[in-house]
Amino acid sequence: MTKQNATVFLGMSGGVDSSVSAILLKEQGYKVVGVYMKNWSKDLPGMKCPWAEDLADAKRVAVKLGIDFMVFDFEKEYKQKVVDYMLGEFQAGRTPNPDIMCNEEIKFKLFFEEALKRGADYIATGHYAKSENGKLKLAKDDNKDQTYFLYRISKEAVEKTLFPLAELKKPEVKQIAAKHNLANAYKKESMGVCFVGDVGMKDFLREYIDLKPGEIRDADTEEVLGYHDGAVFYTIGQRHGLYVGGGLPYYVVKKDLKNNIVYVSKNLNNEELWTKEIVLESIFLRDPADLPKDGNILIRLRHRAPLVPATFKKDRVILGEEVKTIAAGQSVVFYHDDICLGGGIVKS
Amino acid sequence: MIYLDHAAATPVSDKVLKAMKPFMTDDFFNPSSAYLPAARVRGMYEDAKNKIANFIGAKGNDLVITSGATEANMLACTAVSKTGKILVLETEHASVLENVKKYKYSTVKADKTGLINLTDLKAKLTDDVELVSVSLANNELGTIQPLAEISQILKEVRLSRLKKGITTQLLLHSDASQGLALIELNVARLGVDLMTLNAAKVCGPKGVGALYVGHGVRLNPVSMGGGQERGLRAGTENIAGVVGFATAIDAVKGHSTAARKKYTTLVKSLKSELEKAKVEPIFLGTPKHQLANFLPVSFPGLDAERLIFMLEEKEVYVSTGAACSASKGEPSHVLRAIGLSSKEIAGSLRISLGVLNNESNVKEAGKIIREVVDKEYARLYD
Repeated sequence: MTKQNATVFLGMSGGVDSSVSAILLKEQGYKVVGVYMKNWSKDLPGMKCPWAEDLADAKRVAVKLGIDFMVFDFEKEYKQKVVDYMLGEFQAGRTPNPDIMCNEEIKFKLFFEEALKRGADYIATGHYAKSENGKLKLAKDDNKDQTYFLYRISKEAVEKTLFPLAELKKPEVKQIAAKHNLANAYKKESMGVCFVGDVGMKDFLREYIDLKPGEIRDADTEEVLGYHDGAVFYTIGQRHGLYVGGGLPYYVVKKDLKNNIVYVSKNLNNEELWTKEIVLESIFLRDPADLPKDGNILIRLRHRAPLVPATFKKDRVILGEEVKTIAAGQSVVFYHDDICLGGGIVKS
Repeated sequence: MIYLDHAAATPVSDKVLKAMKPFMTDDFFNPSSAYLPAARVRGMYEDAKNKIANFIGAKGNDLVITSGATEANMLACTAVSKTGKILVLETEHASVLENVKKYKYSTVKADKTGLINLTDLKAKLTDDVELVSVSLANNELGTIQPLAEISQILKEVRLSRLKKGITTQLLLHSDASQGLALIELNVARLGVDLMTLNAAKVCGPKGVGALYVGHGVRLNPVSMGGGQERGLRAGTENIAGVVGFATAIDAVKGHSTAARKKYTTLVKSLKSELEKAKVEPIFLGTPKHQLANFLPVSFPGLDAERLIFMLEEKEVYVSTGAACSASKGEPSHVLRAIGLSSKEIAGSLRISLGVLNNESNVKEAGKIIREVVDKEYARLYD
């Protein structure tokens, strides 16, 4: 199939990355169909969901480029697969990553399937990532690389996904936008539950989870230092938002969800804050054949964190040196060379 | 740029700007202060309020200055008691429709042209209705409502209530944000008890509005404090804004007939240009009861939002339905209320002329809109 008669359904959020992706795909000769995924439209108190403005921005770009444009409504599915999962995880005392879930369940599943059904040969998104011979690989811009969020997407989807920004750095993307007079695309980057960035996760959670006051205790002495309004709102390693005044900062080191107690420590060397071994569950290996026999790989512990060497063994990764504890529910993503091997979710 | 969206916003004239400036610099005083310069400012503020009020046949003291029409509409609703009910025309602006939701309310139907259905109004005027809210002219269609007729109906209901021994109040509120420059208004003659005014639609500054409050109408304060605006809206007066509003009113006063004539001609020429498009336009509303500067039009089968983005490339600015609907992502409730199909709603533009328009740029705009419509038609059907 030549590019001239291949149809690409491109997810368009109204932001600069997907807008520039549209330009690039069109220049490469694809027949591009822009799709806005309507995943969420609910307003929160004091926070109007900007979905309609985002949709208008995406559509404006599509009209400007003369490409077809449509809206896929995944609101029901997003609530079920992403938001409900996220709430359940927080209520279980864990710290989930909704963006990873959104990519796995919505963008590279529902959107992918719907696009193929409507005649797409490929799908595309404005993620910084690379798809090559069915492998998910690091993007050229290692500062923007988003494979951390994509490690769980299906192999079938990767085979039919184009990442037009794979070989570009963010400043180049901005230049292309400017050259095409897409000044309106210079806005905040879109994320899964995009508004959460604006109001904060806690404000979002409070819509669904009741406040429940409890004690903040010193992890070493059990002394009651203060009170919190719900242990589920706190994450291990978190430093801010504790109603404990003065002196060195306190870090959350432990949560007793049953008794609604948050344990904190001023001691940065507290053993709960550091780890050399991370036990994982829901491990997803993209292609076991790519995994080095000795298990020596690189891992990424959060988006944009540096790649660090580790050994993968059965259900855990063992690091060469201690790292800050990763909260249960977060993801550890595996790499070898430039290939994203998959990853797993930190076990409680 | 050719701007065809005067129902959304208007430019502040140099004269207005000049009149406002001293109150932000030399005459910055708080009018509540006791010394002379402050008292002088107080006087100028009262003068400006008088000017605005006189324009609708009222006195300065009858006005409560607000931050715009939305707040004025909200304040008007407070006239209703806990047990009272509001009747509101279903095509009202969101600032009315959303605010009445805090009270008991019902909606009154509009006909195909957007005019209030008076039979429906009469049928819904039960004894618990305390307030009826109908705009002077609709903000999407420009439909001018028969306020005098409505107030006559209310007068009769008041009489019949008294005969039955019922003393429940029955007030008429009208949001006159649109059409202030084109219709001579007199609150007493119209029989309106509450009227919302908006500076931003008549080349005054944004963020300034007023509620005319007739005698005997009791409202609940929106803010308490220093007792300004009859104690209904405490807070230091927006003197520059009110002076700007008054100056803007000065500029339109006495010119409504000429303005109507100008816009009638311009709209006519625009219409004849649009009629040549490959998609036959449906002109919404009826010229007989429509603001002279309004031209709401639907190109069924086309996507108005696409048209707006294409027009924006050519620096022609129009609106789809209400600007507010576009950002809400919902089809216009007004166009639904007047019975348009989804296809007709999707293809609807609101063109509203004003001070920035003349014969030549309206002609040019007509040509550009027609070209864009034809281009979209070709994309879809050729």
